[in-house]
Amino acid sequence: MQNMKKQRLIRLLFSYALLIFMTTIIVYPLLWTVGASFNPGNSLVSTSIIPANPTLDHYKELFAGKDSLQYVQWYMNSLKISLFTMLGTIISVSFTAYAFSRFRFKGRKNALTLFLLLQMIPQFSALIALFVLAQILGMMNSHWLLILLYIGGLIPMNTYLMKGYMDSIPIDLDESARIDGASNTRIFLQIIMPLSKPMVAVVAMNGFTGPLGDFILSSTILRTPESYTLPIGLYNLVNEVMGASYTTFAAGAILISIPIALIFILLQKNFVSGLTAGGTKG
Amino acid sequence: MKTYKKYASLLTGAALSLSLAACGPQESSGGNEGSEGEAGSKELIVWEDIEKSAGIEDAVAQFEEEHDVSIKVIEKPYAQQIEDLRLDGPAGTGPDVLTMASDQIGTAVTEGLIKELAAGEDIQSTYTDISMQSQMVDGKVYGLPKAVETSMLYYNKELVSEEELPQTLDEWYEYSKEVTDGKQFGFLALFDQIYYAQSVMGGYGGYIFSSDENGSYDTSDIGLNNAGAVEGAEYIQKFYEEGLFPAGIIGEQGINVLESLFTEGKAAAIISGPWNLDPFTKAGIDYGVVKLPELSNGENMSAFIGVKSYNVSTYTKNAELAEELVEFLANEENSKTRYELTKEVPAVEALANDPIVTESESAQAVAQQSEFSELMPNVPQMNEVWTPADAALQTIATGKAEPKEALDQAVETIKGQIDAKHSSN
Amino acid sequence: MQHHKKALLLSIVPGLGQFYNKQWVKGLLFFLASVSFFIAFKDLLNMGLWGIVTLGTEVPRDNSVFLLAQGIIAILVLGFGLAVYYANLRDAYRNGKLRDDNQALHTLKDDYQNLIGQGYPYLISGPSLFVLIFAVVFPILFSFALAFTNYDLYHSPPANLVDWVGLQTFSEIFTVDIWRSTFFDVLAWTVVWTLVASALQVSLGILLAIVVNQKDMRFKRFFRTILVLPWAVPGFVTILIFAGLFNDSFGAINNDILAAFGIDPIPWLTNASWSKLALILMQGWLGFPYIFLVTTGVLQSIPDDLYEAATVDGASIWAKFKNITLPMILIAMAPIIITQFTFNFNNFNIIYLFNGGGPAVPGSTAGGTDILVSWIYKLTMQSSQYSLAAALTILLSVFVITIALWQFRRTNSFKEGA
Repeated sequence: MQNMKKQRLIRLLFSYALLIFMTTIIVYPLLWTVGASFNPGNSLVSTSIIPANPTLDHYKELFAGKDSLQYVQWYMNSLKISLFTMLGTIISVSFTAYAFSRFRFKGRKNALTLFLLLQMIPQFSALIALFVLAQILGMMNSHWLLILLYIGGLIPMNTYLMKGYMDSIPIDLDESARIDGASNTRIFLQIIMPLSKPMVAVVAMNGFTGPLGDFILSSTILRTPESYTLPIGLYNLVNEVMGASYTTFAAGAILISIPIALIFILLQKNFVSGLTAGGTKG
Repeated sequence: MKTYKKYASLLTGAALSLSLAACGPQESSGGNEGSEGEAGSKELIVWEDIEKSAGIEDAVAQFEEEHDVSIKVIEKPYAQQIEDLRLDGPAGTGPDVLTMASDQIGTAVTEGLIKELAAGEDIQSTYTDISMQSQMVDGKVYGLPKAVETSMLYYNKELVSEEELPQTLDEWYEYSKEVTDGKQFGFLALFDQIYYAQSVMGGYGGYIFSSDENGSYDTSDIGLNNAGAVEGAEYIQKFYEEGLFPAGIIGEQGINVLESLFTEGKAAAIISGPWNLDPFTKAGIDYGVVKLPELSNGENMSAFIGVKSYNVSTYTKNAELAEELVEFLANEENSKTRYELTKEVPAVEALANDPIVTESESAQAVAQQSEFSELMPNVPQMNEVWTPADAALQTIATGKAEPKEALDQAVETIKGQIDAKHSSN
Repeated sequence: MQHHKKALLLSIVPGLGQFYNKQWVKGLLFFLASVSFFIAFKDLLNMGLWGIVTLGTEVPRDNSVFLLAQGIIAILVLGFGLAVYYANLRDAYRNGKLRDDNQALHTLKDDYQNLIGQGYPYLISGPSLFVLIFAVVFPILFSFALAFTNYDLYHSPPANLVDWVGLQTFSEIFTVDIWRSTFFDVLAWTVVWTLVASALQVSLGILLAIVVNQKDMRFKRFFRTILVLPWAVPGFVTILIFAGLFNDSFGAINNDILAAFGIDPIPWLTNASWSKLALILMQGWLGFPYIFLVTTGVLQSIPDDLYEAATVDGASIWAKFKNITLPMILIAMAPIIITQFTFNFNNFNIIYLFNGGGPAVPGSTAGGTDILVSWIYKLTMQSSQYSLAAALTILLSVFVITIALWQFRRTNSFKEGA
């Protein structure tokens, strides 16, 4: 018994040590970013986590409304694009996954293979093509086109994940509902969707963060500063040969991370608690 | 069931070939979108360099009034304009007039992105020979010079006084040895980039492409690994080897680090271009600018002359008006106004002796340095030089390769790429 | 002549076959659909199909690249049209057949019911498929087509036309020395990068999930929140911040952290090997939270009685982990793990933003840490080698797809065996 206790103690000790180590590694760069955003000057050379004479200048600059730094506008654009991409992705992905998971129709196998393959070819391998598409449709600078493109890019992989998850929901549930006279759509909305919550949360997160990580595709379609998204704007901020400002970038980056972190914390419950005992296979 | 499938696919196939046969060139000769349109909407779009539009505001207003057009000025980093024109031109969202660097002109002409200008002798003679030369491809004019740039030496007056300013690179080397302590640096430059390193290598006799009297380049003769270039590279390597240049100014982030060190008073002197005059003033540094120092062989350090120009896009619908605007913006009077407002040194011959230029420290530095400088080649083959040459210099700077080997390899790569990509022409 | 043959022949003009079968509404629908199709897409089809064959004949009137894109769109649109046309023929034939057999025809209502019932999966996945075709399939077709042209600096609109050249570009990749050697260097590092970075992030995620989910751990919520933070901050932000932290002379990692342990500064950005290590560590940092989260979900779904039974049998912690936990995780997460590999294979952002693919290596046209996608991007954007980039995209796709299919087969059989 003594031995067991000792073992347990060592195990816990190692566990906490590992977690504290990871916590440091994770928090350090983030704190550094916060520190940088309060440092005077533009450089990344002399910044420190705790600035000697902190300043709010960089935050003020973001909201100063300069033509080349329309932070508020970009922020709104990004929020809009991310939200609608998220919604669109959830809807299209869950319907498609439902079709693949619960119906046996002609072309199903081929379509599944196609989905698997499509996610492997980088979408931006043909920026020119998307540019021409935008032009033919007369949708240059259109956020809606960009949203559709993002949704399209997210469909293959997320459908795959979602389908896998739905496969693990016992089919008896559908069948008993069908005997009670429920339609396909009702089964989907009232049984499958609620049970798929954890994966819906994952898909939602992918949909929301996807557009926030892209500056290649978006800068091809969005050609005027008013229509920019935050990634384009912030990337230009550090990429400009003259007057690159890492500190202003840091300030902008912090403000963009907050809403994501919030959404994340809201969704977090779903990620971990939704799975029921019947959730896994076998 | 089988027969129906056969029929159906047969018919579908027939329909397909019918629709294919229906289309063809007969339609296409009628469609002429994009060609010289009637000047229905009188609007011109000008892409000006970033934070430089104030310099042409008055001129634009005057032109609008005289020609009854409306002109929209949009600011874009000038180095990026040609890239954007590729996309925006065909999209119809492109400019009529744009700004670009002279070394991109060859590429732009090859791709057909900019229009030949009619500018005759009288207009050409307004500008210095060398700046006009940068705008010519095969004897045709493709733009008018807007400003001239060379690299020069910035020094921090609080760290090194004007009187004691080292005059040669050797003296700077000694100076750096004294003051460098890991936090504080003496003289710094981005010698891991051919744009700056050529200043040293050129002074010893290295060159990129050899050129003849008329300024046309022989791209098969590359002088980046001749004895002079190697000597220059060995000299450069010393600065890195002995820790006078920190490793942090090598590579992608180098330029940001270098400028930060200077604006924070941690570097006594750096080599940079006129584009930093304004930012450094804003950063509150008390600095001076002079031409680059001399080399140990008595030659002055050379530099690349970059010419910024106004050009007309091929996609313009008002070509004549756009060309007139270019001539107007680049004329003597407007060049002078622009200089006063934006501090970009004009390429107008007559202004060289104008007091507003002669009395300015920075304009003088550019003018003096220009005498020891050469034009950046504007042939498309130049695109193949940058990456391999920078790569070689980077490995020299980090001590991973000997100068001779690295440069030989770079030249081999450049030649290979020119053969592979530019031989069809 | 039999009804079904007549109906089929008549519906060469869409709708007539249905009229013949006395299905007026349906016939009218087919007829109107095809008329409006031709009116709406006449120009597109005309220009597009002509364009994709010739790629233009006159400069500056014809822009080859636009014609090519239009051509591909035209083919896609035509595909939709032909699908409807085929449905028209099929419908006329079937109903004709029913008449021949003296059976009652389907009413419109029947057809509608049929569509809702049989066609339900098509109906709900249709919109996704449509978006997918234009957002993903079209660009891929376009870049594949480019690989068979000579589109580069000297053959680019508006000054010049682009032409079809067949397999020439492909043969150049393998015959021109600097491209061949660069291609294999880059491919090798891409493979190493994909395997190591993905393995690191997956194993780190699983390990941490198991550690946090131990029954007797406290502060679970707190640790969970902290551990997913890297996912909550947009990737491109963190990468750029890390680029600053890793700076050789002024970055905090060399100056503050390593210096505190008395370690000499490491050339993170100027030495290719260190740069690669930095990239892998960063990807571990960026990628593990996702795995951590999904694993946590799986762990919580493993029924307690399994462990209880094992404890009764006297199994050690290690045995329980090996025989219950790990297999459960791997089975449930196989698809997610595969996506991690494909993600990293195409992980452009981290390579490009961290060090621009650098540091430079002598004698290569790509940087020391360039993977295939970032090299392709550089070829397109920086040196106008469009057709070369497109040909490389094809090679890259063939490579991943082969591996993925092979891997997928294996995990599939693995699943069935379990």
